[in-house]
Amino acid sequence: MANDVVKNKSTDDPVLQWVTFRLDGETYGINVMQVQEVLRYTEIAPVPGAPSYVLGIINLRGNVVTVIDTRHRFNLPSGDITDNTRIVIIETERHVIGILVDSVAEVVYLRQSEIEMAPNVGNEESAKFIQGVCHKNNELLILIELNKLLTSEEWNELEDV
Amino acid sequence: MSDIKNPFESLQNYFDELLPSEESVFVAKPTSYVPEKVIQKPSVRTPPVTRVAATKSAAKSKALYAEPDAIKKEQLQKLLHSAQPKIVVAPVVKVAIAPPVIAAPKATFVADPNEIQEWVIETAEPVVETQLAVEAITTTENFTQHYQIPGLEWMPNGLPQWAQSRFDVLLFKVSGLTLAVPLISLGQIQPLTDDLTPLFGQADWFMGLQPTPQGKIRTVNTAKFVMPERYDENFVKNAKYVVSINGVPWGLAVDSVNQPISLMPDEVKWRTDRSKRPWLAGTVKEHMCALLDIPRIGQILIDADKNAMKTHV
Repeated sequence: MANDVVKNKSTDDPVLQWVTFRLDGETYGINVMQVQEVLRYTEIAPVPGAPSYVLGIINLRGNVVTVIDTRHRFNLPSGDITDNTRIVIIETERHVIGILVDSVAEVVYLRQSEIEMAPNVGNEESAKFIQGVCHKNNELLILIELNKLLTSEEWNELEDV
Repeated sequence: MSDIKNPFESLQNYFDELLPSEESVFVAKPTSYVPEKVIQKPSVRTPPVTRVAATKSAAKSKALYAEPDAIKKEQLQKLLHSAQPKIVVAPVVKVAIAPPVIAAPKATFVADPNEIQEWVIETAEPVVETQLAVEAITTTENFTQHYQIPGLEWMPNGLPQWAQSRFDVLLFKVSGLTLAVPLISLGQIQPLTDDLTPLFGQADWFMGLQPTPQGKIRTVNTAKFVMPERYDENFVKNAKYVVSINGVPWGLAVDSVNQPISLMPDEVKWRTDRSKRPWLAGTVKEHMCALLDIPRIGQILIDADKNAMKTHV
């Protein structure tokens, strides 16, 4: 994560870059260093027997990439595909996957000190994806911890998709 | 004793400060009220345009909360506290909970002729020191975020700490039901706006984060929280304000805020067995409305938050 941290005068309060996207009316952010690229919506081939949070697979320059249904993962209602729908290709420690989002907004710069802990008062596993929240540009950003998007078992499951 | 005023009058003074040129009264919003301006936001709710001050002339009526009127907001916050401190992160310290005081700055009231003591209402300044951070936390120090909620304990006489003597309560409506809360346990009253942001994966009684100038208030769907058996889906649309709880970053969403009243402990039928519904302190006899144990609600919310004890993001 070295390149995404812009050292400002106070090294104790680094500035981090986040790619923001829209999903079901709210704005979310993910670490820019984990974003490989952003694709326009393309046809996703469903995979029989795949977990419910998997939309299917796409061909990315000869590589098969699994696309996750982010709304389903976040327990949000289903949405329609529009011209703004995008597939964000993200790279975690072990895998490269795509996540489907309503639209991609911009890259924002946030100080570590600007990020607040979010409450976790639910029993849903999805709540643990939220790394924190930050008020920026008159809206609240919900920051997602991509590494927690799937459990170890689920990551392993993807390899068989 | 001659300078002690009627309690009702003294409390009315709070509200007079809000609107010096108007009759300032917190009234229940008529159910037929239609907002002047509606901004549609998908997935959350239509924002309110609030007109809560009862005025003699409609032309003088002003939106108290929805519009960013700095002067009015400042006056509104005086209702609950003379000074809302900027809450900052502090290391873990053991702080004695301040003895109960009536949070009514500048107000005094006439003692009952049958009483043998004079009551002087003081500002709850000691409580300031027990309020802890809800702002962003730096990562430089590894310390734990604790919340100190004043007035949590109940005394051996069966009364809560905040009701050992005359105390003030605020009445508000939630889905048509009137609820009373101790004024001393409240923080601020803020409008619920378009900026209320829900978070996925949370309990169904969690409405979202409401940004305010003083920080983000974690907003509770009060109707679902206290009376899920008679929950009305329209509450989300009708809720206009969030009343924050002193000492914690949580607040209760309400339909409307009514006038505060002053009570003596014997005007409440106190619950003895609070193993069920520990947040219910008792019933206000005259108004036949539930009296909420707000400090207890604050503690319940803190305990429910799995991230409450985490140090930082």
